[in-house]
Amino acid sequence: MASLLVLTAIVFVAVALALLIALAIRRIILARRGREHAAAVRRVRPIAISMLEGEDVERPVLSPGDQAVLADVLGRYARQLTGAAEGRVAEYFRGSDALARSQRELRSRRAWRRATAAYRLGDMGCEEAAPTLLTALQDPNRTVRAAAARSLGRLKIVDAAKPLVEALVSGRVPNGVAGEALVELGPAAVPELRTIAEHPSFRLRATAIELLGLVGDTADSPLAVRCLGDPSADVRAAAAGALARIGGPAAESALRSTLDDRIPFVRAGAAVALGAIGSREPLPRLLEMAQTDEFRPARAAAQAVARISPMALVAAAEEPDAGPHLHEAADVSVL
Amino acid sequence: MVHTLLWVFSWLAFAYFVVYSVCQVAFTLIAWKSLADYRHARAFSPMDEVYASPFTPPVSIILPAYNEEAGVVASVHSLLDLRYPRHEVIVVNDGSTDATIERLTEAYDLVPVRVALRTQIPAAPVRGAFVSRIHPNLWVLDKENGGKADALNAGINASTHPYFCAIDADAVLEQDSLLRIMLPFIDDPDLVAAAGGIVRVANGAVIESGRLVDFRLPANHIARFQIMEYFQAFLIGRLGFDRVNAVLIISGAFGLFKRELVEAVGGYAHNTVGEDAELVARLQGYLREQGERFRIRFIPNPVCWTEAPSDIKTLERQRRRWQRGLGETLWRHRRQMFNPRAGWFGLFTLPYFLFFELLGAVIEALGIPVVLISWAIGVLSFSFFVIFLIVSVLLAVIVSISALLLEEYADRRYERPRDMALLVLYAVIQNLGYNQLTAYFRCRGFVDLVRRRRDWGVMTRKGLEQPAEVPLPERQAGV
Repeated sequence: MASLLVLTAIVFVAVALALLIALAIRRIILARRGREHAAAVRRVRPIAISMLEGEDVERPVLSPGDQAVLADVLGRYARQLTGAAEGRVAEYFRGSDALARSQRELRSRRAWRRATAAYRLGDMGCEEAAPTLLTALQDPNRTVRAAAARSLGRLKIVDAAKPLVEALVSGRVPNGVAGEALVELGPAAVPELRTIAEHPSFRLRATAIELLGLVGDTADSPLAVRCLGDPSADVRAAAAGALARIGGPAAESALRSTLDDRIPFVRAGAAVALGAIGSREPLPRLLEMAQTDEFRPARAAAQAVARISPMALVAAAEEPDAGPHLHEAADVSVL
Repeated sequence: MVHTLLWVFSWLAFAYFVVYSVCQVAFTLIAWKSLADYRHARAFSPMDEVYASPFTPPVSIILPAYNEEAGVVASVHSLLDLRYPRHEVIVVNDGSTDATIERLTEAYDLVPVRVALRTQIPAAPVRGAFVSRIHPNLWVLDKENGGKADALNAGINASTHPYFCAIDADAVLEQDSLLRIMLPFIDDPDLVAAAGGIVRVANGAVIESGRLVDFRLPANHIARFQIMEYFQAFLIGRLGFDRVNAVLIISGAFGLFKRELVEAVGGYAHNTVGEDAELVARLQGYLREQGERFRIRFIPNPVCWTEAPSDIKTLERQRRRWQRGLGETLWRHRRQMFNPRAGWFGLFTLPYFLFFELLGAVIEALGIPVVLISWAIGVLSFSFFVIFLIVSVLLAVIVSISALLLEEYADRRYERPRDMALLVLYAVIQNLGYNQLTAYFRCRGFVDLVRRRRDWGVMTRKGLEQPAEVPLPERQAGV
């Protein structure tokens, strides 16, 4: 028994010591890595900046480690860049092995390596990565698919519109990520979005209409107006939001009818849209809504009145039965 | 008779520490896996895209404040300065008797306004509302004192966005914390109902203009012990519960919720001091009753810094309050406990908190002294005594050091080697007195709980949604 006790105690003490040693070693390694990385960033930053500014200077030969750090620095800068500087970043990556390496890493067994590679390919700005990224959109791992979707959007790969919409439809990529990528594609995504605006799933119809509001134009107004009569309240609200941005000749009268929708958040959406359009015609109905409707549409109506006519709002707020929403909107509007 | 009691208690304590240690080791292994995933995800976390995206939902931040004149301006400053595309800050002055409102008015040029408030969640009357001329997204509600839960409910009633974030008045959020905590909601908005971030001890850190600029260990010993405690509680415990969708506690210092869900369950409960855990338990029950797929998440990388007690009296008050709040929550939600319909939450989380956090305090406080006495008077053998010490102290030391390793692996905030060496020291000695002391405080909290049993009432349910108006405050009505 005594020997068993001693053995147990030794095991526990050994485990505790092993953990302490691991802690110390890790700290030493991390501190050294941190110092080396910071020094490398200091070395390559001037090179990165000269490249981005298009300076034609002879660049020093970099060690493989410094090349990786330069790629990392350029990738991060690229997220904020457009135009010629972005092109120069892409040019650099085309000439380095970082592009090929990231494409190879998309075949890694580890999901996080694939996701990291897919994400970096978007920062490199090289359209040559599109085929591998489109393949990555079918990856079994969700984070890899999301990273690929984001990169396809960043690279503005027009051919990615349909696969992105399919990924959105199937739920294989988070709605927000796929939606953001489609917004990045801009008008190139519009034909596909018009198609999913007719999809049986109300969520997808709503997303498609919302996206059309962001990347479409007045040509999409009739579709959005039609969607104001959709059986789904989410789609009707999204259509109201879209019309707030793209407008169109039939938008205002359709939105005025939507102020009588049976669902409060749809009425609120219509009020917001009418506020954005700015016509004075719906003012009486909006004022009535602000006084009598439920909380959310009433607040939206009061804020719409504030956008359309601050004077009318202040006058209405002085009426004895104005109500809290008009009072609030009036007080805030004069700030 | 006494010998029998000592013998039974000693074996009970032994069994307790064995099971507790097994749980802690299992949690540690789960935490390693989760933190590895989060660490790798840093490389492809689309923070810039989320910040720029029109799909990122707006958030209302609610800051309940009671007599916070000393720090409220800095707290609000840090919240206004968060990197988030669209958010409003609602400070709820909960009947402060100091100059909280005056400090805010001076700093942010507040002007009185009339506001429309929802009345879905009952809350004490709001005396006045103010909005900042400098930051139009800063609102201040001045209400009658009703407690923290009541202030949060008033804030929810005033919030205009679909998500709200509850923050303690003394908390400082890192600049991208709100964006990070929103990521799971963006990833699956239908699934995620609430999320909590990690809370760290701010004592010793250097804060400038509402931002932490340097991380140092505090000189205060009590605060240092709590740094270790927080590592264990957040990095080990909560990640484990998150893995099986059975989170009970989203810290009141930093939590993000879907507003409509919280409204549906009636908001924060007024008559408990553990309003944060109670709300989560209610959401867990409600969402399961509705048969909805949902997740309540703990995310280890959005960081909130908060000041920990630095003297024994304050620490005791805090621990007694926490223990009472936990007990009230467990009692209110006892029907979910051991209930297979409540999933891991009912079968594991609630029993875990009952046995190890609530009742376990007695064993943790008395275990070692009782076993020592039992051995001294010959009730137990020396072998038992040694094995007991190995299980209760050595294993605890190993778990504490593992928590430090997790911290080092996940975030590595304390960069000075001296700080880390001191934390190792505290990881060892916390198991030789400090843990027993806090267990004693928890025992006292348990006694408080039993004495206040008459306070355990039923939830007041919501009424019809009729807007209420907050008029201009009397003293400024003429402005």
